[in-house]
Amino acid sequence: MPQDHEIGTRLDQAASLAEILAAGFDAFEAIRIVARDHQDRVPELFAAFMTTANAAVDGREALTIAPSLSPASQARPGQILAAGTGTREAADALAALAAALGERLSQAAALAEVPGDQAACQQGAAAAWRICELMTRGEHDARLR
Amino acid sequence: MANTTPVFGDFLGPADEHIAAAVSFSGDLPYDAQRGVIRQLDRLLTTMARFLTDLPPPDDSQPSAGPDRDTPARAASAQLALDRAARSLRPVAAGITAAQARSSHQVAGHLAAAADHLGAGQDLLQTHVMLGPGGIRIRRSYWAPVITSEPVTSARLGVLARYTQNLALWIGQQARRHPAVRRTPTAPQLALRAAEPWLLLASAAIRSAQPARHPGPPALNLLEAIPVNAPPPRPPSGTGEPVSQLCEHIPLTAERVRQATFIFADGARWSPAATSASWRYHALAAAITGHGNELILRTLAERARQLTLEPDLAAMLAAAADDMTCAWQSWRAITGHWDILTTGSSPHAGTTPVAAEIADLALRTGRLAYRNPDWAPSHHQASPIRDPADLADTPGGIIAVLTAVHHATDAITRVAATDHQAVAVAVADNRLCMPTRLLPENYDIPSPYARAPRSRTGALLSGYDTAITATARAATALDDLAVFVSAPSSALGAIPRPSIPAQEDQRRLPDQMPAPQPSGVTHMPGRTEHQLRKLHIRDPALLLRAALIDQAAHDLVTEATTRARSRDRVMTQIPRSRPRIGPIKRPAQLASQDTPTRSQPDEQLTHDAETAQPCPTASPYQSSSAPKAHSPRSC
Repeated sequence: MPQDHEIGTRLDQAASLAEILAAGFDAFEAIRIVARDHQDRVPELFAAFMTTANAAVDGREALTIAPSLSPASQARPGQILAAGTGTREAADALAALAAALGERLSQAAALAEVPGDQAACQQGAAAAWRICELMTRGEHDARLR
Repeated sequence: MANTTPVFGDFLGPADEHIAAAVSFSGDLPYDAQRGVIRQLDRLLTTMARFLTDLPPPDDSQPSAGPDRDTPARAASAQLALDRAARSLRPVAAGITAAQARSSHQVAGHLAAAADHLGAGQDLLQTHVMLGPGGIRIRRSYWAPVITSEPVTSARLGVLARYTQNLALWIGQQARRHPAVRRTPTAPQLALRAAEPWLLLASAAIRSAQPARHPGPPALNLLEAIPVNAPPPRPPSGTGEPVSQLCEHIPLTAERVRQATFIFADGARWSPAATSASWRYHALAAAITGHGNELILRTLAERARQLTLEPDLAAMLAAAADDMTCAWQSWRAITGHWDILTTGSSPHAGTTPVAAEIADLALRTGRLAYRNPDWAPSHHQASPIRDPADLADTPGGIIAVLTAVHHATDAITRVAATDHQAVAVAVADNRLCMPTRLLPENYDIPSPYARAPRSRTGALLSGYDTAITATARAATALDDLAVFVSAPSSALGAIPRPSIPAQEDQRRLPDQMPAPQPSGVTHMPGRTEHQLRKLHIRDPALLLRAALIDQAAHDLVTEATTRARSRDRVMTQIPRSRPRIGPIKRPAQLASQDTPTRSQPDEQLTHDAETAQPCPTASPYQSSSAPKAHSPRSC
């Protein structure tokens, strides 16, 4: 799914492992920020957004210790949602970003030569897929407030 | 699956019945039966003496007044008297096997069964405490302070005193019976005559050892509610549990959380699982559980109104829901702190034993709160909140659901205290840091992590303080509700809950108590007993009588003092207004209403930028994502 925001573009265009890791770190951070921002808006989705933010921290933590990730940050996560975006749309956007992230990190894990990088990418990918699952709508969604 | 955890009452009740059945026998015992009865009496008295030997010293953490500190010494005297009684019987009991004795007569059978049950009950109590090196008494469960508390000790001694007295009276009757065929007492009867005065003395000594003379039914109920210290089986985590099953399973899951929390408390410093990931996950689950509990309580309040139950009930439920809101918001704030703070990523750290249990608790609470029987904390399984009639169709249903919420909240209070202590240790050990990439780019630190500024770790610990206070307040509101509706969880309110530890106590392990004092060290003889000891009187019977005289004198003075104070109070009493309707507010609750609201992580980040001195100096990343305050009412 094409990502029409900066972090999505960075993920798409990352060419090296270091770039994928850096974009992945910022993507997790962007997901955490959005999840925190939306967790209190719909009571029925409180648990889902809280758990998503937690998974985003898990993913970010996994990538933090990757040997190929530069400790110094060159970028910021940036906005992935326009102001006033609804909670369901936010969840959709997070699910899409997490899916893209999971895919890129899975590819990176296959390419990584250093075991530390490989483990970081695998754990990051697992966290991303978990976020994707957490944010995907279900059959009850239409009946939520 | 019903709660099958054995409790002390499971053994005390049958022991009670068997002793009552034995002492109700008023006929003639054949000679062989007399020997069998004596053998079983010996066993029963020995078991009862063990109760006194194992009597824990008073809990030093609890203030005690008056003669209570004499309890171990007086209990030792009673134990001595019981031992003498058993010794008087022993020669006659020799030569007859336990099996022969048990089957010799129905009375012997009842006495044997009573000894079995009391022994098992004693074993159950022993699962909560163990003696460590140097005789240090180590608590092995959160129930241990209850067992050593004065009311429960009094209740325990009261039961023993009653048994001893009833047995003494019955022995006296049997010892003086003169069957038509024999005019002289038999050897067993002579043994009973020898044992009788010792039993009477033991009964009196046990009564004088009671810290509270009339502990009352609540203390006895609490004694009976003490469970064996072993986790209940994990309820199967299938989907589609109906409300009734969730109400059965949540207390079991909560008990597993409590036990796992108690066990993990010891591993705060050395366990590989003592990481920010674990504490973050605990906080997440606590927030979700609390959020679900708030929804449940509001739904119950609505249901109480629909069923036109007492208006007080709906008001109390609504107030408890408000307290619950503050509780889960405090946990949500902690998760916000853990967004930034970390102990570092450690792929092999594993999870705490608490994590799996608290995840179950959050899941079941959610399934009780929401309509979807397969609810999970995901968008996919999100569903509308349950209808009030679906949650509790009858008033009994309200009690069942309330019991589940009560257990869940009580369990979270223990997680709060344990995690607070563990995090405090991590802070003291400088284990908390922040990802370097979250710092501004001009901070060129060649490491993935920078040490967390003290202002940030301080805010985290303050967050735990708030969570402890807020969760305890919610639990207290539920304690009151449980008593109000006579819920089965009423006993939870009597178990001491952890509070915010004093700064200087934070490094002390909570499960260590001072070594028990040798029996007699704390015994301060009264005036009469002192006179006898000056005369070098060592006869326990005389010493016990002296102790009783002193105790009676003390009681008389206490009663007179109470009456005098009561008279003075009546003279000066100002007419009181009618008791208000609504939830009972305890002093701690009232005091905590003035607790300042927590600072938000966002503010903290700004502050960090100005003050942090990590290695090297860190100026944290400015986040716009930290949890925002959402207060339906002031917490």
